[in-house]
Amino acid sequence: MPVFLLWVLRNTRKTGRVAVQCEATFAESSSIRWWRGTAPFALLLSTAVSLAAGQGFMRQVAETNINQRYMIESVSLGGIELDRMETSKLPITLRDRLKALIGQKCDMAALENLSSEIRRELHFRTVTEHLLKGSTPEQVKVDFDLVRGDTSFDVSVPRVLYTSQEKVTGELDANVGFHQNNLTFGVVSNGDDLIERFTGVAARFDSAPLGPGKVHAGLKFEDYHEQWNAATVAVADGTGLDLYRSRWSVAPQLTFAVAGPVTISVGASFEQMESQSSTIGSQSANAATLDVDYGRKIESATVQQRIEGKYSLRVATRALGSTYAYARHMILFKYEARSGRNVASDEFIGGAIAGQAPLFDRFVLGSSSTLRGWDRFEIAPLGGSRVVHNELTYGYRVGEGTVEAFYDAGALWQSGGEALLRHSFGFGYKQGIFVLATGFPIREGRMEPVFMAGMNY
Amino acid sequence: MLPMNLGAQDLAVHLDGDYLRVSLPHIDFLQGKPLDRLKDGASVAFLGQLTITLTPTSLNPIARSVGRFALSYDIWEERFSVTKIGQTPDSRRSASHLSAQATENWCLDNLGIDRSQLPADKQFYVNLDLRVEDARDQLGIIGDPGINLTRLIEIFGRPSRGAQPRWLKSSGPFRLDDLRKTEIKGTRG
Repeated sequence: MPVFLLWVLRNTRKTGRVAVQCEATFAESSSIRWWRGTAPFALLLSTAVSLAAGQGFMRQVAETNINQRYMIESVSLGGIELDRMETSKLPITLRDRLKALIGQKCDMAALENLSSEIRRELHFRTVTEHLLKGSTPEQVKVDFDLVRGDTSFDVSVPRVLYTSQEKVTGELDANVGFHQNNLTFGVVSNGDDLIERFTGVAARFDSAPLGPGKVHAGLKFEDYHEQWNAATVAVADGTGLDLYRSRWSVAPQLTFAVAGPVTISVGASFEQMESQSSTIGSQSANAATLDVDYGRKIESATVQQRIEGKYSLRVATRALGSTYAYARHMILFKYEARSGRNVASDEFIGGAIAGQAPLFDRFVLGSSSTLRGWDRFEIAPLGGSRVVHNELTYGYRVGEGTVEAFYDAGALWQSGGEALLRHSFGFGYKQGIFVLATGFPIREGRMEPVFMAGMNY
Repeated sequence: MLPMNLGAQDLAVHLDGDYLRVSLPHIDFLQGKPLDRLKDGASVAFLGQLTITLTPTSLNPIARSVGRFALSYDIWEERFSVTKIGQTPDSRRSASHLSAQATENWCLDNLGIDRSQLPADKQFYVNLDLRVEDARDQLGIIGDPGINLTRLIEIFGRPSRGAQPRWLKSSGPFRLDDLRKTEIKGTRG
């Protein structure tokens, strides 16, 4: 039975808005409407598709470069070889990535990406990669030519997500870089990460390496206005959980690169919430924070593996003047293996909260990355204090992109309550940072899929 | 975008088997910044377009052949390599160990228009349009941090886009029956 997917632009008479609709047509007479969105999404999608296509072409151009057959003998920045560069001049992760080029085939697409990364991270006006003859034939030297600018300024859209359920989530950032310091101002509207939709502004300062280059300081400020789903409002009464109308926070943090793939961040988070109820007034969740991150790549001739781990802890205590007192633990483990056109990954998260946490710190399932296809408000309209979730994904590279199938399983429950394991599955297409996916909840009765299109999700 | 002057030289048009092809004795589009980038080891993409029109100023071609060429320069051998990027990896065509002149000729040879698309009973004009596609334009826009709007605005608002080299040449009128026939070089356009 032939199936055609059609993107249809329609002017809906009821709302007067231009809508975009995706229809799956079986034969020519019957069709099933999968989802409907608004015109800005169509614009986002067409922009993403055309940019991704251009990106794909340029990658093909880089891949045909005749110099790819040569081995990289050395890498230098502005004529200074990596080994002779001061540690503080180059972030460790970037240094490691540049070092990893030595002894590898000269991948021009990778070099061009690294040029962009060096420009962005070190705030140069332009960075251009140059190849020079090596000391022996079959070897080349790579030099990144650097043109300094005192400051850099970028406006970017780091993340965008549209789902047929939660509509649009997005972020717009303005970034100022100076002497390896970064200052970012952003506007955010996010209906995906938490039980609430939060909209507002965020600012973040990330310092240049301090001292020997293994310590970074950061400061984050956020000010959001909240919107609550009707399902959450309906069940919140009598639970002791406050549906605050706004919240702001200040979070200083120090990050230490401990050993190779491990970084440890310690800090504090001072969060103030304004309740909708005048009798409750302001409440706070002031916490000490700890994050431990682990990331490692293992590469062989046929298989590339990536292992990531994360543990995060927030301890809100009255000693810090907090209204709420609780401890929130969360762990994440991800394993990914790539071989040829195949890529498989597994990601596990688990979390527990001891004490009563405000709603923004409670766990959620049914987002764009957990139990895809499920409605989060059906699972737990107030979130939960215990969570386990596993995501299994298999992808097959087709042309410039990857076709993926995924299976999610997870449970979200209250301490002392019963855990109900839920499942979902789906498929999608990923190209670079862009992703299209459809998730189906596995349940009795009507199975309504959720469509997702996003960037960096 | 300012077209480069190709001088008074004529665009030579001939039939190569079932294809109309063009040649220029001294096209010399490998020069300036694109050549500098190539000699630094980078890849440079050229977009070539051959169109057939019924009048010299017409904007509606009756036939068209478009080719996207990826060029690179071997750092050790000091010779050029060129690939015509097709819709699929299988449809790619490549040549290597070429001089600059041979590379330019290879690109022109790979811009053919099927003779069945040419008007049999009317005069027509042949137009060649070659331009550089700046890889950096697009590579800087999308990356791990998302879409860089500054780069996007910079590229779309760049008044000096004219600095991107472009070569234009038209010739005609021709009649199909009068075209010189050469030996068959290939069966594809």
